[in-house]
Amino acid sequence: MQYFLQQLVNGICLGGMYALMSVGYSLVYSIMNFSNFAHGGVIMVGAYVGYFTLTALGCPFFVSFLLCGVGSGLLAVIIERLVYSPLRKRHAPSLYFIISAMGASIFLENFVIAAIDGTPRNFPTLFSNSINIGGISLGVDSLMMIVVSVVALLILMFIIQKTKVGLAIRACSYSEKASTLMGINGDLVIFTIFLMGGVLAGFAGMLYGMRFIVRPTIGQVTNKSFVAAVFGGLGSLPGAIVGSVLLGVMEIFVASFNSNLRDLFVYGLLILVLVVKPSGLMGKVVEDKA
Amino acid sequence: MAMLEIRDLNVYYGGIHALRGISLDVEEGQVVSMIGSNGAGKSSMMNAISGLVKYQSGEIRFKGEPLSTTANKVVKAGVCQVPEGRLIFANLSVYDNLRVGAYLRSDKSGIERDMKRVYEIFPRLEERKNQIAGTLSGGEQQMLAMGRGIMSAPDLIMLDEPSLGLAPLLVNTIFDTIQEIKSMGKTILLVEQNALKALSVADKAYVLEQGCITMSGPGKELLKDPSIAEAYLGKSAE
Repeated sequence: MQYFLQQLVNGICLGGMYALMSVGYSLVYSIMNFSNFAHGGVIMVGAYVGYFTLTALGCPFFVSFLLCGVGSGLLAVIIERLVYSPLRKRHAPSLYFIISAMGASIFLENFVIAAIDGTPRNFPTLFSNSINIGGISLGVDSLMMIVVSVVALLILMFIIQKTKVGLAIRACSYSEKASTLMGINGDLVIFTIFLMGGVLAGFAGMLYGMRFIVRPTIGQVTNKSFVAAVFGGLGSLPGAIVGSVLLGVMEIFVASFNSNLRDLFVYGLLILVLVVKPSGLMGKVVEDKA
Repeated sequence: MAMLEIRDLNVYYGGIHALRGISLDVEEGQVVSMIGSNGAGKSSMMNAISGLVKYQSGEIRFKGEPLSTTANKVVKAGVCQVPEGRLIFANLSVYDNLRVGAYLRSDKSGIERDMKRVYEIFPRLEERKNQIAGTLSGGEQQMLAMGRGIMSAPDLIMLDEPSLGLAPLLVNTIFDTIQEIKSMGKTILLVEQNALKALSVADKAYVLEQGCITMSGPGKELLKDPSIAEAYLGKSAE
């Protein structure tokens, strides 16, 4: 029982991190209809910002955490401006966006290798103690990760569902033409989703670094959060979150059974979803009556 | 001075010359109809005004000033298009659709007043305000698209084929609403294939054929014109 609950917490912890990453995919997909594979690079840079602000600058955890968000948010916006914006102006097909995104991702990886180096780095231990709840001992770092993920995602959901900016994003995700005709500035909406997705990616990078290790290739973990977004229904935010948490929990349990099966299971699930139910758990099926 | 003045407007799509130097005037407070068959260039004209389509030469002036060619600034200037095929936000509630209409406004009391007015004109929308718009019938979606247009508080509202695909009874309702919108003090530019209806409500009308304006005059007069009767009303003049 103790073991089960601890694994469950580990799974939710991992799922929360996936969720922070996968909402970035979903936001971009919902508006621009392509999978932004540069997201992995944004997360990786976030992890490095975390590492260096903690070690070189000696920032306290929360300052460092916020700086990760700022750094990654800015980077995401810069990538949009430099790479996607020119493609948008030309009305390039989605394939061009996907390929450019992959290019940007590989570029960022190699940029970091060239600018810093490729050695893996460990975050300093921030929270080593654990607390006991009803006989179950849980690491403070795990709980912290869950709380941070939940709070960040709640804020995002609030912005999307309750604010005017969120209304514009939801309108744009259905029809860019119609929202333009209502006076919504599409460029501003796209700027906003990249900023929000980037900030959350930075948080995710920090959490990932705390949990695992920092190296230029950690962006590849976003492949799994992408699977989670597809599993939940690409383009749907609640879908991305639910898909992420489920994937995280399932992955941990599969791994505790046999750790070799871990990635086999995750990518098997991706193929299964795409074959059986491409719209995922919560993919929207709404039709416009012309 | 007319509220909307278009002078010698040319639109090309690649090698296709969609609008061939058209000129027209829309006077404040009037309903101006543009009739023409499929592919005559009606939607191109609408989209050129709305900033969705770039025009290569010519001039569009609104209230005496050159109208912006950026779509969201056109709305800000007070020109709103209710597009063909409605393009309502099927993923949003009816109420949220109307809120998107008021996106550029910040006058809370004015928005509330207009929301009330829209519900008065279309009671059906109030009944269904919390429903997801994608579940509405075609007629209700047209009402929503028009209501959403009204919510942006435009001075000029452009309706692109509002009767398209609707049952005859609903077509009448939609045209009654056009009169109501006019009585709110709005200026209306109406593009329609249903020539009989469009000419009946029009203070002034234009006929667009293959990118050129071939005829213009008061709606009632064009209605009596034998060549119009033959080409657009499906009968010879009696």
